Amino acid sequence: MAGTIIENLSGRKLTVLVTFLLLCQVICFLIGGLVAPVPANAQNILGTICKDTSIMKNDTTKWYYYRGAGKCEKIDLDSIHHDVSERDIVFAFQMPVPRESQAYDYSRWQQNLIGVLQVDIRYHSQMEMTSRSAITIDARLAYRNKGDPDDAWKLYTQSTETRVLDCDIDIKSENYLYNCSAVPLFELGSLYHDYYLLNLRLPVDTPDMNAHIGHIQDLWVTVINQNGGFTKVWLSLKTVFFPCIIAILVWFWRRIHILERKPVLLEKMLLSLGIALCFLNAPIEYLTLQYDLPFMLLLGDIRQGIFYAMLFSFWLVFAGEHMLIQDTSAQSSLKQYWRHLSAVAMGCISLFIFDMCERGVQLRNPFYSIWVTDLGTNLALTFIILAGISTGVYFLFLCYMVWQVFLNISQRRQSLPSMSSVRRLRYEGIIYRFMFMMLATLLCAALTVIGFILGQVAEGQWKWDEDIELEYTSAFFTGVYGMWNIYIFSLLVLYAPSHKQWPANENTSDTQNLSEEHEFSPLPSERSEISSLTSFIRKTTID
Amino acid sequence: MSGPPIMKWLCLFVLFLCMRCEANKPRRGRGSMWWGIAKAGEPNNLSPLSPSVLYMDPAVHATLRRKQRRLARENPGVLAAISKGASMAVAECQHQFKYRRWNCSTRNFLRGKNLFGKIVDRGCRETAFIYAITSAGVTHAVSRACAEGSIESCTCDYSHVDRSPHRARAAAAANVRVWKWGGCSDNIGFGFKFSREFVDTGERGKTLREKMNLHNNEAGRMHVQTEMRQECKCHGMSGSCTVKTCWMRLPTFRSVGDALKDSFDGASRVMMPNTEVEAPSQRNDAAPHRVPRRDRYRFQLRPHNPDHKTPGVKDLVYLESSPGFCEKNPRLGIPGTHGRACNDTSIGVDGCDLMCCGRGYRTETMFVVERCNCTFHWCCEVKCKLCRTEKVVNTCL
Repeated sequence: MAGTIIENLSGRKLTVLVTFLLLCQVICFLIGGLVAPVPANAQNILGTICKDTSIMKNDTTKWYYYRGAGKCEKIDLDSIHHDVSERDIVFAFQMPVPRESQAYDYSRWQQNLIGVLQVDIRYHSQMEMTSRSAITIDARLAYRNKGDPDDAWKLYTQSTETRVLDCDIDIKSENYLYNCSAVPLFELGSLYHDYYLLNLRLPVDTPDMNAHIGHIQDLWVTVINQNGGFTKVWLSLKTVFFPCIIAILVWFWRRIHILERKPVLLEKMLLSLGIALCFLNAPIEYLTLQYDLPFMLLLGDIRQGIFYAMLFSFWLVFAGEHMLIQDTSAQSSLKQYWRHLSAVAMGCISLFIFDMCERGVQLRNPFYSIWVTDLGTNLALTFIILAGISTGVYFLFLCYMVWQVFLNISQRRQSLPSMSSVRRLRYEGIIYRFMFMMLATLLCAALTVIGFILGQVAEGQWKWDEDIELEYTSAFFTGVYGMWNIYIFSLLVLYAPSHKQWPANENTSDTQNLSEEHEFSPLPSERSEISSLTSFIRKTTID
Repeated sequence: MSGPPIMKWLCLFVLFLCMRCEANKPRRGRGSMWWGIAKAGEPNNLSPLSPSVLYMDPAVHATLRRKQRRLARENPGVLAAISKGASMAVAECQHQFKYRRWNCSTRNFLRGKNLFGKIVDRGCRETAFIYAITSAGVTHAVSRACAEGSIESCTCDYSHVDRSPHRARAAAAANVRVWKWGGCSDNIGFGFKFSREFVDTGERGKTLREKMNLHNNEAGRMHVQTEMRQECKCHGMSGSCTVKTCWMRLPTFRSVGDALKDSFDGASRVMMPNTEVEAPSQRNDAAPHRVPRRDRYRFQLRPHNPDHKTPGVKDLVYLESSPGFCEKNPRLGIPGTHGRACNDTSIGVDGCDLMCCGRGYRTETMFVVERCNCTFHWCCEVKCKLCRTEKVVNTCL
């Protein structure tokens, strides 16, 4: 009788394999910590206040910037002339900021650009701003490439947006600034061009528009881009993992096809999990170096979502297949898990809808945010809470099932002493290895959660030694990414059907063996090729 | 017969005079003339919009030391920022000391005179504050200008490249790679370093007074740095906090001023440590011939009162007690508190008793027309009513 590889692997080989995989894990962690920089970089840009000299104010071919030929006339808000109106004031943000007397440009390795707006509002006892007042922004984004003339800005996108300013002040005294929280401004899914220029205006089209925002002193935009070095390390990891997982998938599927039976549910789930991981691993980010693909942020979310959905479903089925909730005679199928899987589906669908509402719409308008309107906030919160509830329900189901499996196993253990010594040893081994896998899963999940919490608490760099600078955030990301890859890799290896025949079945002269063979007879279809642990449990349930 | 001894005495006397003036002149440390730039940047002198014009201005030129001129030349746009920082510092100083006997008054800027007057010749608390706030002003203004992009020579990275002006060109190319690989450091890094180079020029840290200046300059910079506030943005999967990026936000200069005022109130009087400056420990063995600049800041001042704790990096230090600011003292450039407004209900330093130093005060009632009930319309319109209010004004005799 053949089982899966994990049941037939000798302890020594298992140790070697596990050591090797652990080594890979450590390497992943260290690559992130020692080679890669922080995942993202933030740059504060102070808006230069330019005077809009054009007569037609809606002209999107006229751009205001402070560096290079054709720069604007700068005005000081503190000593402003009376003939200037709000339509003449433009806050110009040229990205990226120059350094070392050089005009730096964005590289396509830097992947994406997220803009956050911060408003410096000065306190005046005569004109206090109302809390949570709305600010209306006429935002225009332009781009330019290397080699273009300094004034060759081309419109990228334009939008009039409303944001809510959440400000408070500790010391109410003249010239102190309100403490305003940062508001999201834009998200670009691709950083295709070299230079960007943001022109912000605060229009007053109706008497109520921008009326309660107080005395604005400065606008700051913080732009966050993924670091080129991080992208390179990340993509290299993907490039390594992708063919490895593909190869092991092919090997896994060939092994199953060699068998005479049809693949069982657990094997199908493993295969789909592997495919989901391949989809996540596929280094399609290379395409962004050549093409403008603004949907990459959304696609990244979807890829991660699919992977998590598959992983969660797999855990359910894995636990379920070892629990025997189903009719033993029938071949188990996904239908039996619909109640449990609907929790996963529900969570994924609500997150997907939320993501489409936020990042999907941002494909059309990078300045869009679902959070700025009350309706949008409620809608977004609804979906997120729904996803949260689904996750909670899912984990309840999962814990219940795992508990059942352990209950089952401990019951069966009691019947072990009545078996022949060879068989008992084998079953003990199987249970041990099943526990081992459960433990590995738990360990992976726990490490992810602990790593995440540590990252939130420690904030930034960790130093174990003066000379070794470990970039913890990056190490966490590459470590976790590598860990789940290795986890699924080992699942595919260890749960692939084994060709090895159990020697105990063939050359034993134990008479007890005969009777035990006889006991197996009610389950002839599963005699040879199903996981022996499953068959063992099924058998004892029937007993 | 009596000629030689007289000549000898005369020589000695002249020598003594020379020594006196030698001893007097560098007492305050020599790097403080640049403060004049605060006034040079005022509109009647030149337009702050054009940094090149600012550099050419002879009034500015005269206030700067040779190294400072070089720094201004190498970093276009920095002079406008320094000028802004200095005037910001003066305004902040005057705000913080509005209700004190010493009100941080500045004199008309004249060539060769110090902006804050002769008070800086004394190593007192007020001087400590002046040094700290001006140094903080430069740090703040330069960091801000870096964020605006009006100084294009701000450095990208501090952790790896040793910034020396001669290697800057070669480092620039490497820094483009740094930027594309891991992004640039925060602007405060450049502001801090630049302020050290610019403000601390001439403070060699040899005499106690120079040490005091260095310490207070550094304290001013530290306050800017520690007043910075962190802001974060989550941008992980679906905008969740699995990926979070944080950055530091430059504080308002008012909060730096407040923090420095607190340090002023708790400033510690120091004296030279018994053991002379510890031998500059060679951190970098590769360049033994040149003592690293950083070592200028590695000294520890000892509190005057041994029971007090040693001053930390953010504490202000002073050497001698402050002079009385009550009466006019031309030798120290103190205008006195005659004619200052005071608050007759307060028992603090702004109260009439303390402010007028017991000389008494004059009370007048006058009607003032001032703006009130203002509404602000973005951008440039403030609509106010004019209110006539009765005000009681107390003036020191």
